Amino acid sequence: MYFAIDNWGLLIAVVMVLIAAGVSVLMKLDIAKSLIWATIRSLVQLLAMGFILAYVIKQNNVWLVFGLIVLMLVAATQITLDRAKGIPKGLVPLILLSLTVTMLLMVSIVGELVVRPTPWYAPQFIVPLSGMLLGNTVSALALGLSRFFNSMRERYDEVNTLLALGATKWEAAKPSIISSITLGLLPTIATLASSGIVTIPGMMAGQIIAGQSPVNAAKYQFVVLAAISALTLLADSTILALVYKRCFISYDRYFMPPARTAGKKAGK
Amino acid sequence: MTAVAHGDAGDKVIFNNLHFEIRGGEIVDITGPSGSGKSTLLTAFARLNVNTAGTFTLDGVDSDSLTPQQWRERVAYLPQTSVLIGETVIDAIRLPFTLRVRTSADHESAERRLPDALVRETLDSMGCEDIDLTRPVHELSGGQAARVSLARTLLTHPAVLLADEVDAGLDDENANKVADILRAAADAGTAVVRIRHRQADGRANKIIVLANGTLSDAPAQQPQDKAQEGQAR
Repeated sequence: MYFAIDNWGLLIAVVMVLIAAGVSVLMKLDIAKSLIWATIRSLVQLLAMGFILAYVIKQNNVWLVFGLIVLMLVAATQITLDRAKGIPKGLVPLILLSLTVTMLLMVSIVGELVVRPTPWYAPQFIVPLSGMLLGNTVSALALGLSRFFNSMRERYDEVNTLLALGATKWEAAKPSIISSITLGLLPTIATLASSGIVTIPGMMAGQIIAGQSPVNAAKYQFVVLAAISALTLLADSTILALVYKRCFISYDRYFMPPARTAGKKAGK
Repeated sequence: MTAVAHGDAGDKVIFNNLHFEIRGGEIVDITGPSGSGKSTLLTAFARLNVNTAGTFTLDGVDSDSLTPQQWRERVAYLPQTSVLIGETVIDAIRLPFTLRVRTSADHESAERRLPDALVRETLDSMGCEDIDLTRPVHELSGGQAARVSLARTLLTHPAVLLADEVDAGLDDENANKVADILRAAADAGTAVVRIRHRQADGRANKIIVLANGTLSDAPAQQPQDKAQEGQAR
């Protein structure tokens, strides 16, 4: 049994947001505009994704699936760059690389080893799975990268002292690397620990609403959450291991590259 | 050696084609007006400075033939701001011995190579009898931190010690103690370069002035001291 949502349902959701926005204006909170804008974006983006997925599932073509995933990877890289504040230029290839590697691992391990869908590229499985992984990795990377470069800037004196005492680049950067990986992973660990008690995570909720057995849905959710956590840690560590050298120039001298701010300031 | 600062208003040459030499056992003081590049010069010796280029040799060995870590193990820069890394005083002082460049072949622990007694003795000789080894570093006063930082570097026994105004935050008595310690290190064979703003303290073998991008010997003591007083901070 499945309870579909009709257009009236969408309208009611939008009206709810409008009322909330109206209240926020009365309370003089400066948030109504961005709330409404984000709501409209989300409606359009989700519906677009729905239609695209419907098409891709119907076609059931391996190239179409991969094309869509590549598009998602590019968008995820862009979002990571937008969200990570104070990072230097030239990180695009590294972010793309680390997202791609974790994505491939996700699809091959959770997909082909655990779930084994037929056909192996089954779009109704691979695409949402990739989406969930990317959503989580993007936040962790953005958080981890911002923290790392900020921390390296704040630790100016400490880094120089360490280098003067004979530390390698790695030894001088290590405290920043550790603190940023920890920070990047906090939300993931929190989700993992609270799932099932406080929240029924989206995927499980979705399967239950779609009529699946809750126990099956729970198993699914666990595998996906565990894999996402592991791969997020991997993505975060990989990118920091690749990126920390950016704070140094020849002869292991500490030099912060300028942040890639300029240009994009619109939005918020 | 040459230093070029890259600023928003274009590049500015701080000094060009400088030549500097020091022997083991000597203390050389560098003085000169603020902004003349004294710290730049010192960090350049440790090859930490990003704006300088030049040739640096120690006992005939070119710095480029060593790893940066090996070079800085021998040519130690002691920064003006003391950053003590670690929970307690003893942790902070042992830090250099936890770094890879000083890890011995047999992986002897930092505790074994720098026993409490030796650290205690060094601190006592610096007038730090009141600093407990297990004291948290954030509880130290500025002057105490400066001496712990000096002890940390001294205990690594560098061939060249580059002291960037380490007595700036100290009262006369403590500055005098630090000067004695550096003199003792020099007498034990270390080459010591000091940046100083205070009056000449009679410890230096030579005083050099860095101004307008050139190094010159200070003209006999007295007038030099007066000039220095004028810009003491």
